This record gives sequence, C-alpha cells and structure tokens, in this order.
Amino acid sequence: MDLEHNFEIARVAEFILSHGFTRVALQFPDELLRDSMRVVKALRRELNSSVKLYVMADTTYGSCCVDEVGAAHVNAECVIHYGHTCLSPTSTIPALFIFGKASISTSDCARSLLKYGLECGKPVLVLFGLEYAHAIPEIKSALLSDASCLSGSVSTSEHLFADASCSFISPSGTFGPANQPGSIDRRVENECLDEENSQNYKIGGLSWRLPQGRTMEDYSLFWIGLDNPAFSNVVLTFNSCEIVRYDAKEDRLIIDLSQQKKILRRRYYLVEKAKDANMIGVLVGTLGAAGYLHMIHQMTELITKAGKKSYTFVMGKPNPAKLANFPELDVFIHVSCAQTALLDSKEFLAPVITPFEAMLALDRGSQWTGAYQMDFGDLISSTPSVANKQSEEARFSFIQGGYVEDLDLHDNDEVEKDEILALVNVTEKALQVRDEDTRSLTKTVAKSGAEYFASRSYHGLDINGTDPVPAKFLTGRSGKASGYKDENTHR
Amino acid sequence: MVKFTADELRRIMDHKHNIRNMSVIAHVDHGKSTLTDSLVAAAGIIAQEVAGDVRMTDTRADEAERGITIKSTGISLYYEMSDESLKSYKGERQGNEYLINLIDSPGHVDFSSEVTAALRITDGALVVVDCVEGVCVQTETVLRQALGERIRPVLTVNKMDRCFLELQVDGEEAYQTFQRVIENANVIMATYEDPLLGDVQVYPEKGTVAFSAGLHGWAFTLTNFAKMYASKFGVDEAKMMERLWGENFFDPATKKWTSKNTGTPTCKRGFVQFCYEPIKQIINTCMNDQNDKLWPMLQKLGVTMKSEEKDLMGKALMKRVMQTWLPASNALLEMMIFHLPSPATAQKYRVENLYEGPLDDAYANAIRNCDPEGPLMLYVSKMIPASDKGRFFAFGRVFSGKVSTGLKVRIMGPNYVPGEKKDLYVKSVQRTVIWMGKRQETVEDVPCGNTVAMVGLDQYITKNATLTNEKEVDAHPIRAMKFSVSPVVRVAVQCKVASDLPKLVEGLKRLAKSDPMVVCSIEESGEHIVAGAGELHLEICLKDLQEDFMGGAEIIKSDPVVSFRETVLERSSRTVMSKSPNKHNRLYMEARPLEEGLAEAIDDGRIGPRDDPKARSKILSEEFGWDKELAKKIWCFGPETTGPNMVVDMCKGVQYLNEIKDSVVAGFHWASKEGPLAEENMRGICFEVCDVVLHADAIHRGGGQVIPTARRVVYASQLTAKPRLLEPVYLVEIQAPEQALGGIYSVLNQKRGHVFEEMQRPGTPLYNIKAYLPVVESFGFSSTLRAATSGQAFPQCVFDHWDMMSSDPLEAGSQAATLVAEIRKRKGGTNMLCMKEKFILLV
Repeated sequence: MDLEHNFEIARVAEFILSHGFTRVALQFPDELLRDSMRVVKALRRELNSSVKLYVMADTTYGSCCVDEVGAAHVNAECVIHYGHTCLSPTSTIPALFIFGKASISTSDCARSLLKYGLECGKPVLVLFGLEYAHAIPEIKSALLSDASCLSGSVSTSEHLFADASCSFISPSGTFGPANQPGSIDRRVENECLDEENSQNYKIGGLSWRLPQGRTMEDYSLFWIGLDNPAFSNVVLTFNSCEIVRYDAKEDRLIIDLSQQKKILRRRYYLVEKAKDANMIGVLVGTLGAAGYLHMIHQMTELITKAGKKSYTFVMGKPNPAKLANFPELDVFIHVSCAQTALLDSKEFLAPVITPFEAMLALDRGSQWTGAYQMDFGDLISSTPSVANKQSEEARFSFIQGGYVEDLDLHDNDEVEKDEILALVNVTEKALQVRDEDTRSLTKTVAKSGAEYFASRSYHGLDINGTDPVPAKFLTGRSGKASGYKDENTHR
Repeated sequence: MVKFTADELRRIMDHKHNIRNMSVIAHVDHGKSTLTDSLVAAAGIIAQEVAGDVRMTDTRADEAERGITIKSTGISLYYEMSDESLKSYKGERQGNEYLINLIDSPGHVDFSSEVTAALRITDGALVVVDCVEGVCVQTETVLRQALGERIRPVLTVNKMDRCFLELQVDGEEAYQTFQRVIENANVIMATYEDPLLGDVQVYPEKGTVAFSAGLHGWAFTLTNFAKMYASKFGVDEAKMMERLWGENFFDPATKKWTSKNTGTPTCKRGFVQFCYEPIKQIINTCMNDQNDKLWPMLQKLGVTMKSEEKDLMGKALMKRVMQTWLPASNALLEMMIFHLPSPATAQKYRVENLYEGPLDDAYANAIRNCDPEGPLMLYVSKMIPASDKGRFFAFGRVFSGKVSTGLKVRIMGPNYVPGEKKDLYVKSVQRTVIWMGKRQETVEDVPCGNTVAMVGLDQYITKNATLTNEKEVDAHPIRAMKFSVSPVVRVAVQCKVASDLPKLVEGLKRLAKSDPMVVCSIEESGEHIVAGAGELHLEICLKDLQEDFMGGAEIIKSDPVVSFRETVLERSSRTVMSKSPNKHNRLYMEARPLEEGLAEAIDDGRIGPRDDPKARSKILSEEFGWDKELAKKIWCFGPETTGPNMVVDMCKGVQYLNEIKDSVVAGFHWASKEGPLAEENMRGICFEVCDVVLHADAIHRGGGQVIPTARRVVYASQLTAKPRLLEPVYLVEIQAPEQALGGIYSVLNQKRGHVFEEMQRPGTPLYNIKAYLPVVESFGFSSTLRAATSGQAFPQCVFDHWDMMSSDPLEAGSQAATLVAEIRKRKGGTNMLCMKEKFILLV
C-alpha cells in the first residue's frame, strides 16, 4: 500500500511544522491501527525530534470523533485523525482529518452518474463518502468529457457536486445557542429567509449551495460510497428526496433503498415509545463533539419539564449488556455525534433514541412531520421553540392505545405547595406496608429508580438473615469461565 | 310522535320509578330497527319547536345503504298508561307518565361491542327473534351478555307477517313454531339463573312475550286478547291469559275448555282459536279486498277507521287496519313498563355487578337506592361524535346523584387504581345534554336513573370511564365492560401523502374514541395499526377514519393482517444452556407445553399473578395435575405479567438464585412478547429453570449479564421443544336453505374450514351450520359464500380459539415456515433460518 500517498504524510508533516505543534496525538480507528507504527516512522523522518508523536487507539466512544480526552492525557496540542470521520466540531483541541483514499474507478462512476442523471430527469446532487473525496475532481472531469460525447442530451441533466469541507477544524470556543460556530450553517434559517440568493447545506463534512429558487426536493441524490452511518445520516435527513447509492467496490448502482426508509419508520415507532417512558437515561456518547455538555443539560431539562425522571450515564460505547444493567429505564437518549447516534438493535432491552427524537417525544407541542435531524448541533438553536403551550388534552399513547397521563406534572405542583411537608410525605410513602406476595409477581409502574428498586424481589443482602449458623465452606469451581473443569463431565 | 319541551322532559326524569332504560337486542336482520321505528313513530319524543318533518331514525348513510345497524342509537319515548291498564301493576309508580329510554343496537356480530355498551346503561332488554329463523347465534350471544349484566329480558316473536303472508301456515303449526322459539330462548336464559335477578325466563301467559310484525307496525301480547275475552267468558284476565297459551283447547261447539285436543274438528288450541285465527281472518279479508265483510268485523272488534283510510286497498289497507287494531307501540311499551324494572328496582341487584369497591360504602348504597341526593356515580359507556368535527359527547348513565352543567367531576379511567393518581382527572362538565330525537337540548342537570350526554370531557376519556364528584376521593370506579368479541383483524394504515401524518395521528385518536372495540396502535416497524372485530367492522372504521376523522385525506391500507401466537408441541429435547456475555453465568432451561385448558384458565383470570399462592396451587394440582410444591414456585406469568406463559423454578440448592430472579423475569417478559419464530406473543409455554451457575461476585451477575442471557435461553428452549404457530380461529355460524348447503361446504373446504355441526331447524327448511374457520382465510369469506350460494347464506364469525398449525416452522418450505418468513419480512426482521443456530447452545 502506498503509505505516503494514503496517509498524506507530507501534508501532515507540513501542517505540524507550519503550526509549530510540539506534542501531537495521532488517532487511529481499529482497522487502521496496524499501520500506525509505519505512519509514525514516516512522520518521524519528516519532522525533527522536538515534536513528540503519540498514537491513540481504542477510543472510548465512536472512532469517528476526535478523542479529546485521550489527547488531553498527553497534553497534545493537536490531533491528527485518520480514517472515517463525522467531522464533528471539536471543543478544545484543533484537529486535522486525514480521510484516507479508497480506490474507485472514476470513469465507471462518471458513466453511472451520467446515465442516472438522464434517467431520473431531475438535477442530480452528488454526495460522497469522505474517503472518496480525493477522486471527486477526477470524476468531475470524466463526467464532463463523457457528457461532451453525448452532447445532444447534456443540457437536460445537471450535476451539482458537494464539496468536502476543510479537513482542519479548530475549536470554536464557548459554544451555545447564542454563539453559533461558523461551520454550522442553518437550514432552518434559510427556510425563513427565502429572499436569500442561495441556500447552504452541510452534512457530515460535505457542504453545497443550492441555486436560488431550488429546494432539496428538486434534486435527486447520488451517493458515492459505502452503506455506512454517514449514508444513513444522509438518507434520514433528506428522507423526502430520491436517493441512489453507487457502490465503488462493486461498480454497481443500488436503487432500492427500502431498507433505509424502513429505518425512518422504525425511528417513528421509537419516538412513540419514548413518549410512554417514565424514566429516561441520558447516555453520554461523546466527550469531544462541541456542545455536548450543553446538549446533555438541555436533555435533562427537557425530561424534567416533561415530568419524567432522568439519569445520566457515562459508559463508553453502549452495548446491550451494559444497558440491561439498568432495567428500570424505559428509554435511553444517546447524545453523540451524528454518525454514532443511531443505535437500533433489537438486542437492547430499552430503545436508544437520538436527542432530536427525544425532543419530538417529550415536547408536547412538537409533531413528527418527516423532517429529521441527526446532528445535535442543529438542535441547540431550535430549543427555544419549546413553547410551553401546555395543551389541556391528555396524551394519547399509541403503544397502549388510549389516553395516559403524564403523572408528575401534578406531583410537582403539590410538592411546591407544601414544601415543608415534602419530607414527611416522602417518608410516609417509604413506610407503606407492601404485600410481600403480590409484589414479586406484579409489575407496577415505577416513576423513579427508588420505586423500581422497592418493587424488586431482591433488595441486596439481608442483614437479618434467617439462618444464624454460618454457611459451610464449599469447594468452588475451577478452570476458565468459558468452560469450567467440572463441566467436561456435563458434556 | 310526542312533542315536548326540554323542561317537560326533564320533569319526568325525576320520577325514577317511572323510567325504563332498555335496549333492543337481536340477531342481525331479525327486525330490531324496523320495530324500533314503529315505536318511535308512535311515542318518540321530539322537541316542540322542530316537530314536523324530523326523521328520528335518520342515521348514517352507510347504515341505510347496507341495511344494517352499525352504531347503537338512543331515543327517548314517552307513554302514558291508562288507569285501567295500571290496575294490576304492583310496583311503585309516580303517576301514569312513563319515560322509556330505548337503545337500538346492531345485530351484526362485528359490532357486538356496541351492544355491550348499550347493555351497561340499560336495565331491561327487548329480545327480538324472527319467528321463522328462530334463536340464532347472535341472539344467544347478546342474551348471554345481557344476563351477565343482570339485564332483565322480555321477548318479542317478530316478523309475524311472514307466517300469514309468506308461509301461510295454519294456526297449530304456527303455535308450535312460536313455542319452540320461546323454549329455545328460555333454555339459554335458564342457564344463567341468578337468584337476585329471579326467574328471567319468558312466558306468553305472563305477558312477557309479545308477537309482533315490525314491518307492518302491529304487535300484541296475550294481555291484549285476554282483556278482550275476559268479560266474554266471565273470568279474570290472568286466568284468561293462561288459557290462551299452552295445552288449553276450546271447542266452540261445546263451549268447553279442555287440556287435551278432543279430536273434534272444531276443537282448537286457545291461542289458535282466539288470537291467531282472528288475525288471520282480518288479514285475509283485507288482502282479498272483501271490504263488505271487513267493516262489520272491525266494528265488532271496536276498531274505528278514519274515512280516508277506508279507501285503501290490499296490503296498505291491511297494514292500516292492523296498526289501528293492535298498535305495536301499545303492546310493546306496556309490556316493557309492566315487566321491565325501573332504575330504582334494577340498581338494587345490579350494584354488585357494577361497583368495584366494598358493597357497603356510601357509593354502593347510593347506587343501590338510586339516590338522587347521594354522591354522583356515572358510567360513561361510549363516546359519540358531535356535529362539530373532532369533538365527542361522553354518553353514559347516571347511577346515583345528579350530574349538572358546570359540575367538577373526578374522571376515573379504566386503568385507575383507587388511591393512586394513574388515569385520574378532575375536570368540569361544560354542558349536560339530553337527546330529543336528532336534537340535543341542554339541561341544567340530569338525575340518577337516566342516560345523559356530556360536553367537555372528551379529551380525558378514551372510551369509557366512571365519573363522580370532585371531593369523593375514596370512590371506587364502576366495573369495566367485558366485551364478547376481541379485535383480531388488523390492517396497517399509512397516509398517501407523507405530510398528512399529523392528520392520520389525530384521526386515529378520534377513531379509537368513537368505537368501543377498535384499537389503534403502532407496530415495532413504525406502522400504524387499526384492529377490529371483523372485516366489516374494519371496513366501517377505515371509512370513518378517512371521511370523518381525517377530512378526506387519502390513506393506504394494507391487506388484513392476523396476529399469531407461538407455542411448543412437546418438552424440549434436551436441557439448553446459555452463557452470559461475560461467560461467567449459565442458565439451564427447558420448555414444555402448558396443560390443556391452563392457558385459557389464565386468560379468564382464574389463575393469575395476583392469586393467593395457596389457592392457586390448589387449582393447579387438582385440575391440572401439578405437584403442589411446584405450583408454589411459579416465578411469573408473561407477557405483560398476566399472559398465558410462565416460568417455574425447578432448581435445587442454587446459591444467589433469588438475586437473579428479577433479571430472569425481565428477560422472560421480553422474550415472551416477541417469540423467536415470528416475533409474536408466546402462548401456553411453561419454562422450567433447571439449573443456574452464577459468578460469585455480585457485580458479574447483574441484570446486564443475566437479562439478555435469560432471553436467549428462553428462545433456545422454545426452539428445541418443537415450536409451533397458533392461528386464531373463528366460529362461523351459517343459516341457509338446503339447496345452498353444497355451496357452503365447498367454500368452507376451500378455506380450510371444517363443519362440526349441521342441524335442520325444526319446522323450517333452514339448516344451521357451525364450523371452524381460520381467521386468515376469512377475508372475503362472506362475499365468496354469498356468490357460491346465490346470496342465500350469511355467515356470522366470532373469534373462538387458537388452533395449532401442524406444520413445522423450522422445516424449510413448510406452510408455517413460509408464513413465518412473511411475518418476519413485514416486521423488518432478519431471516428466520439462522435463528436456530443463533440461539441454541447445546449441552
């Protein structure tokens, strides 16, 4: 493999030298880790010894985001991120992204593109995985030359290419709704300001401008790349557009994307389900993406406002076993970058939703319209729309098929009324006589972790053990967990 | 029609002894609505101001189109009894004026939820039976429901005109037919003996059976004739009535009553001699236009016709004559007033069925005494769409106290548990409304014993609720209604234009409210599902959804979808084991089918999680042959903690077992909701936890390790126990003449149905066929059947049971496997065949 070319050693070295960084962290995803030493060696050759290089691997969260905490451990001044990325803005450290260069047959791709453009009869917007960014200029020129061959029909098809954004990101300082970083263009803004000449769009490191008077619905989307989270992100966000995918590896155009559309409907179900939740966990899925703290606060606030109980979890990459340790939670909100946020496996005991979906579910005024956002950066600005138009009507739950009441709204009022008696009330509740037998077999709806715990049949070690005689020593098992020694006889 | 102002009507409502709340119930097409029409025409109350051209029964256009009733409609009738006829009335009364709140209900089985809702708010029922077709399946169903609610029935043998005009049967034959009809009805009623309700059987000689011709608007009870003849024979009415029914014969030649037919040609049964023959004679004279003979006869009977009516001919004349002579309204209304209970009477014994709380508290007493000064107890049985789109009237019955405009009420929903705040609202009634024909009139208040509609509560009540005064915090709700049908047929709906989704959501919400049976839910795949009792029911619901609740926005509906259940055929072929993600914990489990009848017992609530463990183990050991000790080791039921599957602990001497119980239970609930075959609910499986190996450190055997493991082991044990699918099966009852039988059998065969009973109705050319038909095959069954029998057979389908599909879903290419693959595809799941390998770890 052409290391020099693929990892852009020269460009990285030039970048480090020009900024005068002395401590640099190199972040590799798992699949590129085996090349890390060679990259370091190559870089060493280019740089003088005053520059310290650190290799970071096995990130705590998605490997597409910059691991700022990891970098902070070595006091790195900048991070060089290799491989697939979501290009989420960083909050403290500047980062350079090396997308890698996947091989693609530019002429085949251009031909498919041209053919598709003629077939669909709509202008085509070309989007691509960042690993193909290097090939775009070539595709463009190949397209032009192909098109000139078919000069007659060229005028009917129109191609608009997205640009890969600058691969360097520097932290944008304090992040908040008032202070929007320049890199995040506002779609919503554009809809309000119709008069503006063009509209800027930005998604997962790609950006493009639509000419005046055009909307996204007018375009057909042509995606060059793999069926990966970045693509799902595009499909969900522009779910009203026609989208096809060009698979560079197999040189094939995939038109049937019903599976992707199904995801959207499934998300809709999860939103409905989240509406019924009483206890909600906020999963911290990133410590890097700018504004994540703000988002977490916003989520807990939203949950409390909706009269539900929230718990915050930091647990690295979530998996079913980790989340099942908290069976009392009805739903989890995964605050992370746009490309790792979508977690939908039926293996999870409770559904995991994105902050955008949580907003839909918990804000009584909002409605599922089909518009979808993945990036929580976009959400922060839309928060103030949480107009507290508390609708009088009880909420209708499609999961239960009837009206349900969000209880705590009333509870809160009461507590406020007699704050003094609050403690008395709580202890009174705690001292309720509970029926030992029925408790174990019936499931009551718990509204907080403590209540759930009280309804469990096992409450931890019993201090007043029934048997005063200590138990006998027994010989335990020996061997490995995957197959104890005594298990061979079993088999 | 009776013209009233709201105030006048309101005045009668206070006389709780003079109110009759009653519903009209029957099999489809036995003539409920026609009969109701004739009652309304005579005694319906309409608002004074709009009297003139109001058509009371003007309801939905689709009802008229199909000729069936879809929604139950309530109408108030007013009837003033004469002093003479009240002479023999023993009960309490206040004056001679009576208010009859009548609810006409649909007869088609798909809409029997409407009947259930109607029965709850009435005290008596007029059971209409076609004299030719006799007691049919739906007659039986609704009658059973009525008696379950402690509703006292009276019977009318309807469509008498068919005897005279169509079949032209002679008196004795007709008597036998009627006798059989009444007997059949009595057999059903006798099986529901209830000491508090007393004898509920009906007897013509006691006046609790009427004979009617709804279409022609006439009816009689034996009372009518007894009155006529009593003086002639010089006996009292009661005595005369007895003679007019049963084994009493009269020979005009000897002028003697005998208890046996003497054999002389002039000797006839009392009923034939004095009731049937005279009617037959009148009808024949009219039909043959023998006017010269007719007028003297009428004069003798004391019937005076208006001069312009004398010009009528044939059928029109006959109708007019019969209506004047034996008006349906008088006979039926008097029967109701005499033999059906007033709210005050009925609530005395109904309170036990109605009230969930202790039967000696203030609320129970108020209901029992029908106390207008007591606390408010009101049951909302259905929501009626109001004319302004999107709003609903909450329609129900006041059992005690008074409900008034502006009153603040506590709304206790179906999930309310006393002492908790779940499903509880306090809101004020914006308006209380009573119906006067098509028109709603606002009244100040409505006292107990009456039906009422309320405005302003529709945003808090989905389908039904109990209302009480704001301050009555310790009141228990009125028991929820139990429906005889269940929503087994489902379609997925979607809007054509994606941006109409909010409209669809809003529409579904309203649809769910407007119908007591329909269930609007959402699938895992994100599809909106509408579930109904049958094909027809769904069709009506979707039409309402699109036209009334979504303002005409277009929807796409999927083909009907049936839900299945997953079960096992035998015990797991071996003990299966699953390791936790960290490999430190092992669960060993086996699955076996539950004993026959046990799943049904759990469904019926005879066995459940809330039982006393001792009582439960008694039932289990005595009826199902369980070991007594084992019965005490049931960990849980599922899905939803009450479902027909369970986990039983069979371990011996395992440490920390109590610690992981909750996690295993959670894993089981999860698994039993979405089985491994087609992600359908499980049914009838018992999971036995055989052994457990756990890590010594509590941190390594937490929920995260055990819950997913428990789910996997449940799946694996099911898959090793010959998993099977259960499909829902309808009980179909078809009535048809002999020549249609061939067609019926061939359609049933084609649809995998099988007939288990074929019976000729005695005295008729009709056959009664009972068959089982898989619900999956029932779509289009009605129309195919009609086509195959040239419209002579009309089926009634009710969900009956779950039936095991014999083919093995794990065997590629089998019928069940194809089905499973289809369901999985629809649900967006993965392909099935990799499942087995995925879940099974062999030991």
